Amino acid sequence: MDIDIIQQIINGLSLGSVYALIAVGYSLVYSILLFSNFAHGGFLVVGGYICYYFLMMHGASVWTASAAALVGAGLSAVLVERLAYKPIRERTPITLYLLIASMGMSIVIENIFVVTIGGRFRALPDVLPMQPVNVFGIATTSAFDILSLVVAIVCLVALQLFLTKTKWGLAIRAASYNLKTAGLMGVNVNRLISIVFFVAGVLAAVGGIFLSARYTLYPQLGSTITTKAFVAAVIGGLGSLPGAVIGSLILGLAEMLTAGLISSQFRDLVVFGLLIITLVIRPTGLFGKSVSEKV
Amino acid sequence: MGGYSIGIITLLLINCIAALGVSLFTGFTGIFTLGHAGYMAIGAYTAAILTVEHGVGFVPAIIAGGILAMVCAYLIGLPTLKLVGDYYTIASLGLGEAIRLIIENWQSLTRGARGYPGIDNYTTLPVALTFFVVMAVGMFFLVNSRFGRAFKACRDDYVAASLLGFNTARYRVFSLAISGFYCGVAGALLAGFMSFIQPIMFDMAKSTELVSVVVFGGLGSMSGCLIGTTILTLITEMFRPISQYRMLIYGLVLVIIMVVRPEGIMGTHELTFSYIKSLFCRKKKVAEQGGAQ
Amino acid sequence: MSTVLELKDVTKSFGGVTAVKDMSFKIEQGELAGLIGPNGAGKTTIFNLVTGVYDVTKGQIELNGKNINKLKTYQVVALGVARTFQNLRLFTASTVLENVMTAAQRYHSYSFLEAITHLGRWHGSEKATRKESMELLERVGLASRANQAAGTLPYGLQRRVEIARALSLRPQLLLLDEPAAGMNPEEVEELNGLITGIHNDFKLTILLIEHHMDMVMAICPHIVCMSFGAKIAEGEPDYIQNHPEVLKAYLGDEEDE
Repeated sequence: MDIDIIQQIINGLSLGSVYALIAVGYSLVYSILLFSNFAHGGFLVVGGYICYYFLMMHGASVWTASAAALVGAGLSAVLVERLAYKPIRERTPITLYLLIASMGMSIVIENIFVVTIGGRFRALPDVLPMQPVNVFGIATTSAFDILSLVVAIVCLVALQLFLTKTKWGLAIRAASYNLKTAGLMGVNVNRLISIVFFVAGVLAAVGGIFLSARYTLYPQLGSTITTKAFVAAVIGGLGSLPGAVIGSLILGLAEMLTAGLISSQFRDLVVFGLLIITLVIRPTGLFGKSVSEKV
Repeated sequence: MGGYSIGIITLLLINCIAALGVSLFTGFTGIFTLGHAGYMAIGAYTAAILTVEHGVGFVPAIIAGGILAMVCAYLIGLPTLKLVGDYYTIASLGLGEAIRLIIENWQSLTRGARGYPGIDNYTTLPVALTFFVVMAVGMFFLVNSRFGRAFKACRDDYVAASLLGFNTARYRVFSLAISGFYCGVAGALLAGFMSFIQPIMFDMAKSTELVSVVVFGGLGSMSGCLIGTTILTLITEMFRPISQYRMLIYGLVLVIIMVVRPEGIMGTHELTFSYIKSLFCRKKKVAEQGGAQ
Repeated sequence: MSTVLELKDVTKSFGGVTAVKDMSFKIEQGELAGLIGPNGAGKTTIFNLVTGVYDVTKGQIELNGKNINKLKTYQVVALGVARTFQNLRLFTASTVLENVMTAAQRYHSYSFLEAITHLGRWHGSEKATRKESMELLERVGLASRANQAAGTLPYGLQRRVEIARALSLRPQLLLLDEPAAGMNPEEVEELNGLITGIHNDFKLTILLIEHHMDMVMAICPHIVCMSFGAKIAEGEPDYIQNHPEVLKAYLGDEEDE
């Protein structure tokens, strides 16, 4: 039994780290624009499909395919922002309209794939290592899990460096406190938002590649995962990046431990259970900012 | 009238009942929900189980479905409606999905994900029409009363509302309970229309659809939500032959409305004679001004 | 003369910031009192504390001798307190009449069943609410604008709608938060007349936050002056005008010049 638990823990951390990539991108957008981008999962799917396409059609190496997927997803995110969100946010400060537009975009992206490529499940070619690996003689896990964990860590560290060491990173951090003020300080707000969406798209694509390799790729993968990413972001605290990471790890662990110890049927229920408990006890999550109104 | 047309109109009436409920909660009380399909599911399964397994007549079964959905909405609302803004929306999403998952997993009661077949086809056009008329009149009367003003106050400025003496928390829960009843009845009618229900019919996509027609019609307009439901139901039925494009078009409609006319078709206005008259008068005034220049 | 509102050593802290410190004062029934002080002194915070928007950190607030610290906002309103806002909080998309009716309706109630059927008391109550609201709008000179969207009115008139709305709550204590903000001298004069008028006609107790000194000195026989969350002077206009602490708070130390 002990071996099982450790295995599930490693699985959980690995799954959680992939969720973290999605949740962080989503929280990043939330921290700047203060709305939940329901279309975020769409970028994930775009990344997955581009990767799949390059691997299948061109027999490209996993590096080329991944690079193309990342860039493609990033650009698609920027495109969505410019086409759908920019006109709305320039007109009105009401975030509800952005929320609904994002729901629409999520449906649009999902169904573009359904209509053009078809909704059937596609397995990514076996380019990612899947063989079992023995960890310190304690447990056996797959190389895939370790790889996804490592890649996720690398990406998150890179993001952290970007946010703390670069000029645009500083601008983004300033904007997360107050977008308008950042603009008044000379930041090109539109370009900043595009950069944020690009980064979010890239992170989503990395997650998307790993998730489609783990689960198979289909158009609705985006919305399923997006929901989980929300839950993770809420648990960690909406708008907080470290919160998104921790929330994701908690979620990944909860899912895997439930599936391993109780039953996989209850997995999803546990996910939503955690969400509801968080919202009832401490809605701002672990690290979220509480927004209070001046009366 | 052909059977197909009768079917579409019946479905339209069912959708309208649900839309009225969501309109009260989202349009008039200002709380955005992504989980109301859950209440439809509760209503649908209650009616199905009562009519099929316990020989209950369909009218009491439908009403029971509505009441059970209302009670669930009330119990859910009590702890969650103190959440502000986005947080409630996410909670509603989680709760809607949780309801669906519970139904899926409680196989002994609901027959699980495979679905619940063999429901009597009790939702004929007269039945749907009767429920619709009664419930629509009730809803229009409700928003045109002190309750309507209270809900709108909670929507427009909950701080000001509390300073006018409104227990905003209680009104929000109340609004949720009523909207739960409407969605429950709609779900029960749907069960009697399709004769077969499955949890997947009441997923997040359905919740999104419910809230979209309200936004499309205009947040704060009951007649708007009916117009919106009618237009969207007819469009999606028209595209049923090429059904793979149906969802794509529906998604595009949502985005385009938000970009071009976020206040929806009717905005906050109701479709009354004076409103239609004012539309024409405005055009005439503009024409006169144009001519004078 | 009974005490309508009493603050006893009220302190309010937000984390590390103390917005109000050991505030104590009494407002007697029928008074027209003024609460003044530089920006950030904590005046609006006092209003928020009285109306239950904020919780008191230390001290008591009493309404007619009864402790209201723990009461929620709508409960305080039910006890007879009404308030207008510094930044206006009208329901801008609704009409002027609807704004006032939303407040006035509390005295013309009917049940849910009567509401959804439009039977029973619905008709009579709605008519009475409408009538009372129109009368109040006439009182503030806005009857002609009853069906206009509240948000489209000029700023000064919007303030009057807020006052009419507050009046329709039939309050015992009316809290006015900077009602003259953004007004020119003529408008301030008119507002003076309106405030003293309603003070007399409705037998109200009024506590007024204002920056327009001419207004406060003219109509308020009892003034409390705050600075940095604490009371620095209290008394009649002459006393306040010449009080060194008050002058220092508004004008700075003589050495600074």
